[in-house]
Amino acid sequence: MDLMEKLTILADSAKYDAACTSSGADRPGKTVTAGCCHSFSADGRCISLLKVLMTNQCIYDCKYCVNRASNDCRRTAFTPEELAELTIEFYRRNYIEGLFLSSGVVRSPDYTMEQMIGALQLLRYRHNFWGYIHAKTIPGASPELVRRLGLLADRLSINVELPSEQSLRRLAPHKKREAIFSPMKQICQEAGQNRQELAVYKKAEKFAPAGQATQMIIGASPETDYQIITLAQAMYGKYALKRVFYSAYIPAVEDALLPALDVKPPLLREHRLYQADWLMRQYGFGAEEILSPETPNFNPYLDPKCNWAVGHMQQFPVDVNTAALEELLRVPGIGPTSARRIVAARRNGRLGLSELKNIGVVLKRAQYFIRTSDWPTSARPDRETTVRALIDPKVYSFGMEQLSLFEETPGLRPLPTARDVKSMAEAVEETVLCLASSL
Amino acid sequence: MPGIKPLAVPADVIYTYDGSFDGFLCCVFESVYAGEVPVDILREEDSPLTLMEVCPVVTDLTKAERVRASIPLKISARALELVTTVFCSCLAQKELRLLEFLLRGYREGGKLCFRLGDAVMAPLLSAEKHLLGEAHLLKGFVRFADVGGALAAVITPKNYILPFIARHFVLRYHNEQFMIFDKTNKAALVYQNGKAEILRIDHVTVPEISEREARYQALWKQFYNTIAIEGRENPRCRMTHMPKRYWENMLEVSDLVHPAAD
Repeated sequence: MDLMEKLTILADSAKYDAACTSSGADRPGKTVTAGCCHSFSADGRCISLLKVLMTNQCIYDCKYCVNRASNDCRRTAFTPEELAELTIEFYRRNYIEGLFLSSGVVRSPDYTMEQMIGALQLLRYRHNFWGYIHAKTIPGASPELVRRLGLLADRLSINVELPSEQSLRRLAPHKKREAIFSPMKQICQEAGQNRQELAVYKKAEKFAPAGQATQMIIGASPETDYQIITLAQAMYGKYALKRVFYSAYIPAVEDALLPALDVKPPLLREHRLYQADWLMRQYGFGAEEILSPETPNFNPYLDPKCNWAVGHMQQFPVDVNTAALEELLRVPGIGPTSARRIVAARRNGRLGLSELKNIGVVLKRAQYFIRTSDWPTSARPDRETTVRALIDPKVYSFGMEQLSLFEETPGLRPLPTARDVKSMAEAVEETVLCLASSL
Repeated sequence: MPGIKPLAVPADVIYTYDGSFDGFLCCVFESVYAGEVPVDILREEDSPLTLMEVCPVVTDLTKAERVRASIPLKISARALELVTTVFCSCLAQKELRLLEFLLRGYREGGKLCFRLGDAVMAPLLSAEKHLLGEAHLLKGFVRFADVGGALAAVITPKNYILPFIARHFVLRYHNEQFMIFDKTNKAALVYQNGKAEILRIDHVTVPEISEREARYQALWKQFYNTIAIEGRENPRCRMTHMPKRYWENMLEVSDLVHPAAD
């Protein structure tokens, strides 16, 4: 089999991994610290790394995976030399920032890890490649191998795959919860130790300087959004993860335990999860503020931040000229950048609406939640206008189909779903009335 | 600013200069010493057909140096940084806007740079953001081809971003020889034998690529086409992140821009 065919098969089997970030490796000249996207594929996802599997042979039979042992597809493997040559030649032409190496499990987790380590060693020490390397840890591999992999890679990741242990047992019978979380814990501890070593001796070997990440599949199992973001929050706190990726399940294989092949991937739900994830990492929100056991699923029509604001109208309006940074971050239409700019700019004079507009605040949403010298509280519009301005325009672009993929929230007046209404405009109209009356 | 006498007042005159940064600084010198704000400042080659008085400003390095030194002294180091960056941007009437900024800055001092919402500051900041954003994108979007051992690339950015990406590529490819040709601004960043320089060039002919190079280009295109997930196709999202004007120089998508030409 020639290199072209191998690349096609092994990139095709790797494409369902969501992560392709290249940030955090501090190697001036070799990588861009803030991360760098080299291209964007037809699905709009960033390509910054050569994302391939070492091999797509696999002894495991995870139900949701295209590479599962029982799936009838062509199997192949890169030799370490082939992989090194591809990576270096692509990097040299500025196609990529580095390599994202994952693998199917051949023989045993340890054997697979040794193969990956062999390839990375060749790349780093023989070919002197100091671009970015993101390596997937194989669940169940021995701690010594995880350590060796961490010394070669910039970022490690190990997929939790599914948001609960029950689902894992059902859909990935060969992967044990313990086999996933113990390397995650080990990576977290090793990284902590490594930071101390680096403080003592600047040239100490770096262990996964860009931290670790994980990924889970959304929509293949019955967990609620609340369960998912609570799990993500716990992992951010406990294992100091840099990122949690959510991947809308795309039916690729037929199985009685999985959604049927014609079910569309829940892209709008995935989008809401990422929005909530951002709120937790950049805006100081807790998972229990975004959702709760009583309302365990996202509102498809409002983004989570607007949804929170609508439910906490008593905390608004905030005065832009005096409010603390944390308060500003909670205003719909003000993001981390504009919040910091507001704090810097108001030292030199009071801010009015035109200044806020120049600073980059989205007044379309923010106007209902702020107070400035030229925008007094008395000029408040009614609830209906407020809610209408907050409806996420993304709802239209994702389409009706996506709305039916959301779970209904018990206890609340149900929001209209695809079944009750004829058009998107009607659905939004219904929602506005429904939300305005519950304010 | 009410109550403070401005340094210069509007006058019915147009300045022309040679297009260099030093030339622009001399326009600032001229404006301050004549006490006049021109209607516009233009490059000599874009000299207008007008009945208005045209005042050609001659580039004088001593004057330019005086203005350059005055900016960090009377305003702030950040102001000089902003002026140098925005001068490379594609902001409309950038010279006039920079002059207005400097005239206010000389009166108000370094504080002006913190008035992020100010009507004079805001367009400069957004032009700076646009330029730095484009420079960041191009760090990823530049596509080199190996021509006889050296690397060559062509770009068509809106802003003059070569000075802002030079350091990045020199560090990354310090053992190589490379050239990035900026078609829009007719300039090329050339790096060979450990030395980098930006040259003014009108035209570059890229030689035929070798078989080996063609193979890697084909591998890359194949990888690009394979990595997308069919069920999630999203052309709008791709265009948001990777605007179409960059596609002509990116080999994996260049076919999509001119499908008939090939």
